[in-house]
Amino acid sequence: MATTALELHHISKTFGATKALQDVSLTVQRGEVLALLGENGCGKSTLVKVMAGVYDPEPGGRMVVDGKDVPLPLHGDAARHLGLSFVHQDLGLARPLTVLENLLGGVAERSGSRTRIHWRAEARKAGEMLRSYGVDVDPLAVVNQLPPVEQALVAIARAAEELKQHRERTGASSSVLVLDEPTVFLPEEEVRFLFDLIRTIVASGASVVFISHDLPAVRAIADRVTVLRDGKLAANARMSDVTDAEVVEMIVGPAAAGLSSPKHGQAHGAHRPDAEEPRSFDRAPEAGLHVTGLRGGQTSGLELHVAPGEIVGLAGLLGSGAEEVPYLLFGAKQASGGELTLRGRSVPLTKQHPGQAVGMGLALIPADRRRDAIAPAVSVAENMMLLVVRRFSRGGRLRNALLRSTADERAGALDVRPRRTDLPLGTLSGGNAQKVVVGKWLEIGPEVLLLHEPTQGVDIAARAEIYRAIKRATETGMAVVWVSSDFDELATVCDRVVVVSGGVAVTEIVGQGISPAAITASVYGADPGATPNTRIVEQVAP
Amino acid sequence: MSATETVETTDPQPAPSVAQGSGSVRGRWGEKAALPVAWLVLFIVFAALAPETFLSMGNLSNILGSQSILFMLALAALLPTRSGDLDLSLGSIGGLSAIIVAVLNVNHGVSVPVACLVAVGVGGLCGAFNGLFVVKFKTEPFIMTLGTGTLFGGLVFWIANSTTIVGVDRSLSMWTYLRQIGGVPVQFFYCLLVMLVIWYVMNHTPLGVRNLFVGQSREVAVLSGINADRIRFGAFTLAGVIAALAGVLYVGTTGSAGPTSVETFLLPAYAAVFLGATTIQPGRFNALGTGVAVLFLATGTAGLQLLGAQDYAQQLFYGGALVLAVAISRYLRRN
Repeated sequence: MATTALELHHISKTFGATKALQDVSLTVQRGEVLALLGENGCGKSTLVKVMAGVYDPEPGGRMVVDGKDVPLPLHGDAARHLGLSFVHQDLGLARPLTVLENLLGGVAERSGSRTRIHWRAEARKAGEMLRSYGVDVDPLAVVNQLPPVEQALVAIARAAEELKQHRERTGASSSVLVLDEPTVFLPEEEVRFLFDLIRTIVASGASVVFISHDLPAVRAIADRVTVLRDGKLAANARMSDVTDAEVVEMIVGPAAAGLSSPKHGQAHGAHRPDAEEPRSFDRAPEAGLHVTGLRGGQTSGLELHVAPGEIVGLAGLLGSGAEEVPYLLFGAKQASGGELTLRGRSVPLTKQHPGQAVGMGLALIPADRRRDAIAPAVSVAENMMLLVVRRFSRGGRLRNALLRSTADERAGALDVRPRRTDLPLGTLSGGNAQKVVVGKWLEIGPEVLLLHEPTQGVDIAARAEIYRAIKRATETGMAVVWVSSDFDELATVCDRVVVVSGGVAVTEIVGQGISPAAITASVYGADPGATPNTRIVEQVAP
Repeated sequence: MSATETVETTDPQPAPSVAQGSGSVRGRWGEKAALPVAWLVLFIVFAALAPETFLSMGNLSNILGSQSILFMLALAALLPTRSGDLDLSLGSIGGLSAIIVAVLNVNHGVSVPVACLVAVGVGGLCGAFNGLFVVKFKTEPFIMTLGTGTLFGGLVFWIANSTTIVGVDRSLSMWTYLRQIGGVPVQFFYCLLVMLVIWYVMNHTPLGVRNLFVGQSREVAVLSGINADRIRFGAFTLAGVIAALAGVLYVGTTGSAGPTSVETFLLPAYAAVFLGATTIQPGRFNALGTGVAVLFLATGTAGLQLLGAQDYAQQLFYGGALVLAVAISRYLRRN
């Protein structure tokens, strides 16, 4: 009997010019929990997708499942037939349906459409199955009426049961359950329910690959850890042999390497020159943006102050609450508490809505560009001038020629290509479309610019153009809140970085102390005292 | 997001979009002119097949004047469609308006202008009712207006007592159908006027631009601080008013109103709206395009009638045009 459940050898994967995975090997022992760690973009998700048969790896890789060589690439349903099962962050449940219907989905597909379903018997069986994993959920409950933790438990139990049936059917001695960031949306005190379930699953004979950014969770459940960095295998270790600080160092690399690793330096140019002194800002309470007691989504009493002209980065793991701040401040998402003060005017955030936000001088550049930021079928000029369209009207008549020529001018200043503002915006590349979005909002001369992942899918040249345009706008006093999971970007553009965890601001990094490594270390909760210019923000009681 | 994941989400590169862009200029001219050219072809074909009758002054005025009810109703349907909604109750609102004019004038002796004002006011209320339920309660406009349309239709039967009311004051017909300018019934010019006003507001005012975003990408409009709800509500209300005008034209044309009248024009009205989105401003629901489409449909049905085609031929033409128009406009909007 093989001692390894799954082995991957020499897996490489290239997208265009980017080497997402280079010669990565990974071993999962029978009956263990292996934590797979790494920064965003380190190659974790690519590796998982190779395992699942979504991506074809480069030739030369090997995959061994339960002691048997498996030809790569996998196709279609192959992973499932090999005894690999995946639970992603979105859980893959049909939320308007009952737990039972979700559990039967797979069965119904297998047993052919003419077999009659005996609902009462199936409900009893499903209840027993869930209880065998220690999950006490009514099979007739509708999924979206369950608390998030129970939804996660159901999804994981379903996957575990599938693996168990696979082992019984094929006589395989092992199978692997891959959990991709299952804890991000769960309250901390409920994560332990997940751990109980994972232990039950391991005891029943499966192995678990646990992907997470949550170090305490990894510490609590994993036997071993494998770390990827920049698409390469960075480290393998037994969890009991390493400290948290050592794990963080594996993730971000030795401190020096963090600043000049090949992925970083070139993409964003050099980091702030040492000569550049931290800029000074007007911190008077009547100036700038002040947010107190922000609640809503994952945030729980967050406080934030941004001076005029200052660029403040918000960094945090998925589920920390950082990524919700721009939407809550803008009223795009309803806050359940908090107050926003801008130039002496205070508004309760529970009553905030986009119309009022724009009126106050707030601007939002959301992450989902296609859905929330551009009207693809409408022309570049109209997209760009939407907010100031009134400016082009005289006596109720819209001067289309003036609108077009103004848009041409602005597009020229931002180097939007092609220089054709009559084209539908949807025909432009991601980078050029984002320049148009930035131009659209800067056109109103906002007091506060809120950004969420503004350079996602944006090429390097367009990034530089966007950074330049925003920097220029800060010179006239625009305050910026910049949320990004790209810490190189934050280190490049920000005057100050606030680290968010558990829905509150926990750490603040300023001036010379800002580096991708410092931000990462701080985000992963390693000792922030190690870097200069870092201080713990007084925690606001939740 | 860092390098590896960026690659997966990168949008198409600029180079092909340039090619697509410059190519689409020529392509768009073809698109813009397609429907007018089709109309011309249709016209020539009918003129060749039946030169005596089709080219007669009477027939030409018939083409322009007889389809005014359809024209007006199509303009009503254009408004909610432009802001991204759908209103299936407009035919019933028109019917309700027609029966109100007839009942007030014939049964209660109310003067024609007052009766028409009441009818148009009720049309506006019906539209606001739709707007309230669709926008404020955030329901699907398709099923909601199917419901309100049936409701209004029920009111029509109730008010009409399931009979046709005849003998509406001739002065109404004078002001709509009988009086002619250059041989064309004056009601056609009312429709032209409404069309031009809508066209102006949509293309030459800030409101029109905001309305465009609400219809094309509602999330973007909302996140740009536009009060999308107010624009949608306004579109439903105004559509009710214009549908009621279509009802008034119906009474003027026929001198009567029955339990079913304007309802039958709903489908061709939407055919015109969708067909109109393929021309003048391809990919956008637009007023001039709607006008061209109405003339296209009117020419087609008038020609078929002159050639002695049965009633079903008209239905085949309307239905076929709608199927084609939806498919083509969907295709254009995707690009």
